[in-house]
Amino acid sequence: MLLSPATGGNLTLTQRDRRFGYLLTAPGLAVLLVVITFPLFFTVFTSFYDYTLLTPNHDTFIGGENYQEAADEEYLPGSLWVTVKFVLASVVIEFIIGFIVALSLNATDRFKTVYYLILLAPLLINPVVVGLLWRMLLHSELGIVNYAIGLVGIRPVSWLGDPTIAFWTVVLTDIWHQVSFMAILLLAGLAALPREPYEAARMDGASPLRCFFYITLPLMRPVIFVALLLRMIFAIKTFDIVFIMTKGGPGTATDIISYFIYRAAFFGLDIGRASAMAVGLLIIIIVLTALLYRYMRSLN
Amino acid sequence: MRLFIAVAAATMLFASVAKAETIRILMETVPDTRYIQELLPEFEEASGIDVEIEAISYIDMHSKLVPQLISPQGSYDLIVVDFYWVGEFTKAGWLMPLDDLAARDGVNVDVYVPKLMDLVGRVDGVLYMLPFYNYSMALIYRQDLIDDPAEQAAFKEKYGIDLRVPETWDEYWKQVEFFTRDNDGDGERDFYGTVIQGQRGDCISMQWANYLYSQGGRYHDENWEPLLDSPEAIRAMEYYRDAVVNYSPAGSEAYCFDEAFNVMAQGRAYSFVTFNILYAGFEDPESSTVAGKVGITPNPGGGLNGGWGWAIPNSSPNVEAAWTFIKWAENPETAKRRALLGGAPTQAPIFTDPDVMAARPYYPVLGEILAGTQDFPVFTYTTEFVEEVGRELNLAAIGEKPIPEAMADAQAELRALLIKDGKIAE
Amino acid sequence: MAEIGLRNLTKVYGQDVTAVDSIDLDVRDGEFMVLLGPSGCGKSTTLRMIAGLEAVTSGEIMIDGDVVNDVDPAERDLAVVFQNYALYPHMSVAGNLSFGLKLRKLPRDEIDRRIAATADMLGIGDLLKRRPRQLSGGQQQRVALGRALVRDPAAFLFDEPLSNLDAKLRAAMRTELIKLHRMLGKTIVHVTHDQVEAMTMGERICIMRDGRIVQVGPPLEVYRNPADTFVAGFLASPPMNLLDARLGGETGLDEVELPPVGLPLLARHKEALQGRAGGAITLGIRPEDLDVEPSAAQHAAMTVTVVAVEALGPEVILVGALPGGQEVSARLESDFAAPAGSEVQLHVDLERLHFFDTDTGRAVTAS
Repeated sequence: MLLSPATGGNLTLTQRDRRFGYLLTAPGLAVLLVVITFPLFFTVFTSFYDYTLLTPNHDTFIGGENYQEAADEEYLPGSLWVTVKFVLASVVIEFIIGFIVALSLNATDRFKTVYYLILLAPLLINPVVVGLLWRMLLHSELGIVNYAIGLVGIRPVSWLGDPTIAFWTVVLTDIWHQVSFMAILLLAGLAALPREPYEAARMDGASPLRCFFYITLPLMRPVIFVALLLRMIFAIKTFDIVFIMTKGGPGTATDIISYFIYRAAFFGLDIGRASAMAVGLLIIIIVLTALLYRYMRSLN
Repeated sequence: MRLFIAVAAATMLFASVAKAETIRILMETVPDTRYIQELLPEFEEASGIDVEIEAISYIDMHSKLVPQLISPQGSYDLIVVDFYWVGEFTKAGWLMPLDDLAARDGVNVDVYVPKLMDLVGRVDGVLYMLPFYNYSMALIYRQDLIDDPAEQAAFKEKYGIDLRVPETWDEYWKQVEFFTRDNDGDGERDFYGTVIQGQRGDCISMQWANYLYSQGGRYHDENWEPLLDSPEAIRAMEYYRDAVVNYSPAGSEAYCFDEAFNVMAQGRAYSFVTFNILYAGFEDPESSTVAGKVGITPNPGGGLNGGWGWAIPNSSPNVEAAWTFIKWAENPETAKRRALLGGAPTQAPIFTDPDVMAARPYYPVLGEILAGTQDFPVFTYTTEFVEEVGRELNLAAIGEKPIPEAMADAQAELRALLIKDGKIAE
Repeated sequence: MAEIGLRNLTKVYGQDVTAVDSIDLDVRDGEFMVLLGPSGCGKSTTLRMIAGLEAVTSGEIMIDGDVVNDVDPAERDLAVVFQNYALYPHMSVAGNLSFGLKLRKLPRDEIDRRIAATADMLGIGDLLKRRPRQLSGGQQQRVALGRALVRDPAAFLFDEPLSNLDAKLRAAMRTELIKLHRMLGKTIVHVTHDQVEAMTMGERICIMRDGRIVQVGPPLEVYRNPADTFVAGFLASPPMNLLDARLGGETGLDEVELPPVGLPLLARHKEALQGRAGGAITLGIRPEDLDVEPSAAQHAAMTVTVVAVEALGPEVILVGALPGGQEVSARLESDFAAPAGSEVQLHVDLERLHFFDTDTGRAVTAS
């Protein structure tokens, strides 16, 4: 009966169509539900238990103790602040560079494939390799970067040794690695923009700069929203580059939240506490997403 | 068609038989793993066991191992365990006691250097591992500079003592100061008395341990009462900070051992307190411009002990085959051949074996170094401790935190972890 | 007010794709000029070059006698209405109308006044706050038109503005555009592929093909005297019947032979066909010049076999086959009826015969 929508009894045609649609999507939705919500619920669930790698079970319910412990972590606020700075810096700079690159590529006809390849190359490299590569290039004594700037008379820079510089080194490495993601997303958006309004604007007497601000930006708003959101979420989850390049140092200059949580889980062996922090982070991400969404909506 | 099915069935049968004789080992990509791989075909031929070695980098090992160890049936028959993890793995009950197997097959574990048996062999009297290789830390220095008469004269004139392989910390630190130079006269030092591997985390934690021991400091007393805010520990940190500021390359507070190695290997430093296994790299003209000019000696005051052990996880699918492999890898003959290839020995007789000494004359020194080492605190939360203390040490090393404050914080962290582990009372 | 002149205007894309091939055209001040042709004939490219949206490969564009090849589109004082309207999707109707005026730094009250006047003229006053996507196709079309009008430019360029509308709206808009032109008296260049649009709206039609101008003239003149078979076949629906024929008779110039019929040639035709005696010729007959009644003053009869009868309401199109197999269409009174396969006698208005050179397709006229 369920499997034969044609015998839908006294249902209307619309109802039968709808039910058939549900039937078709049900397996996919079920898989999605399991794949996405199970780890989520497991994490939330675990965050209320004394679940450690030594006692990997949900035998001991401890209420909000993990959350209390997490909140008491002396270095957690600092780590959050580093994360905020990192996310803002990398996403904003990537957005600006990515937009410039996308605009230039959009205006280019020749050798587009070549540019694409060059652009995509960093993105295709494993982040661990990216970290190792740049650590090597930025070696304060033997690295090629300090050698190169030495040729033009600049003193060697302690790229990873000075807390402030190290923070920006990590940001720039991440930008080097990820900026093409932003560029390509924005480029896809630009390529899909209608051409006619630009011609109309030219007839109306709009300069390229005005076209950008009055036409491109407003029309790109949905794409920009998605690009910023995706990159923001990815940036919050940045791990490998910090893990490889700095281990959160020097001091606590690059100790971003994902590495903080990782340590709680795999060095502290405390999955419960790590889960509590992950849930907190998830809530922050959801709130940020909602705020960003509302902001983009309010512009419309 | 029937023939096809028969062939297919036979193939599957054969495959499953062959599969029963395969063991998988997770190892680190280090030279000692390579030596095992070189000798592996002999074992496979003799035993009929296929060995799949999955060699990955250290940073991925712990997070790859844990899920396998938790599950009732893991995918590794045999693993290697860093001394960091020993407390954690045994406390969690992931490793299989090997006493019965050793007794059954008459494996003599007394050949191992006792310090290594304590570190990566027995825990509370139970045999969980056989020591695989050791990476105790030592002082690697430029023998050619010490042998240079001009340097000797200048040193004598400046300090009133002879320039020789350092035996005390004070003597060593004078040398560190003496050899730190500005050779091209641009006002910036470009030859360094020592190289710091000061990156936050295990890099600084490991190296600093040697500074702690050099000052007669310890992590804790016999009752696990932490001692990181002791005057010795504070003095050790002062020396370390002194090195960062005055005697080591700018930026070395972010080096791990590989970057620091390269500075010395490129002939830019006099000395380097690091893992003894790096010495082979300095002597290799492929990776070093100072091959033949480098010596190795115990860290004055004692170095940090370190090592890896073979262990069979309780989740091992094939215990017997894994044990067969360990017996082969650790029988004196194989152990000696590994040492001849360049491996870091764990069995006492090998350090002074005539063939080994002929091929690698410095091996007796390695034995001496090992004998003088001290152990890092091994307890359930060693890994976490390494990170926590590594953060405080790094904060002090870069000058972000006053040394006494950093050491007080390190002390508090260690205390909290020891309490959590039940080693001391609150 | 603007006169637009094109001199040897050429557009080549890439290395060798010639879109517009050395055309000359003069659009008079206040004239409604229609560029007509099939897609790919170069009419839109020509319009876009006039607008300044496409660079000129060679030749000149003149507005009021000044060469404007290198003048910025915004400085040419022209307004374009695009085929897809090209409204700014993120702006309200008022925003669309005012954008160009704001860029030209007009005072606020002047802008408001113009928007109100334009909206009033086009009947879009109550749409001013809406976004383009909230409008119907016809409404968007009006807004696009309004955006051009509000600028009060010297000339308008229409790039197939009606082609996205349904038939009924299109007819209504045609009338409106004609009225608008009469009211404003501004020069309009209107590009279309629709011959009805061209016939009804244009004061003159410029027919283009393969990047060249084939014929320019007032609609009826072009209709009556198509310059070649292309124009003859393109203008009007159903198009002119073009039949392979031969000149014959005793002198070889007495009649045009469509075996078994021979249509007698009139004196002025003979004059025009001088020197082609006995030769092949393409005979053109408009469907309305065929009738079942011998109504024309000079006529001749031919018999066709009925292939189909298409009743259009006010009239009937008869498709018939000549004995030689060639088909002809005839536009007949609405009461005509005949079964397929039956024979019908059609009378040809001999005054209205057209002759084209069979090889070149060009009209044969008395020189």
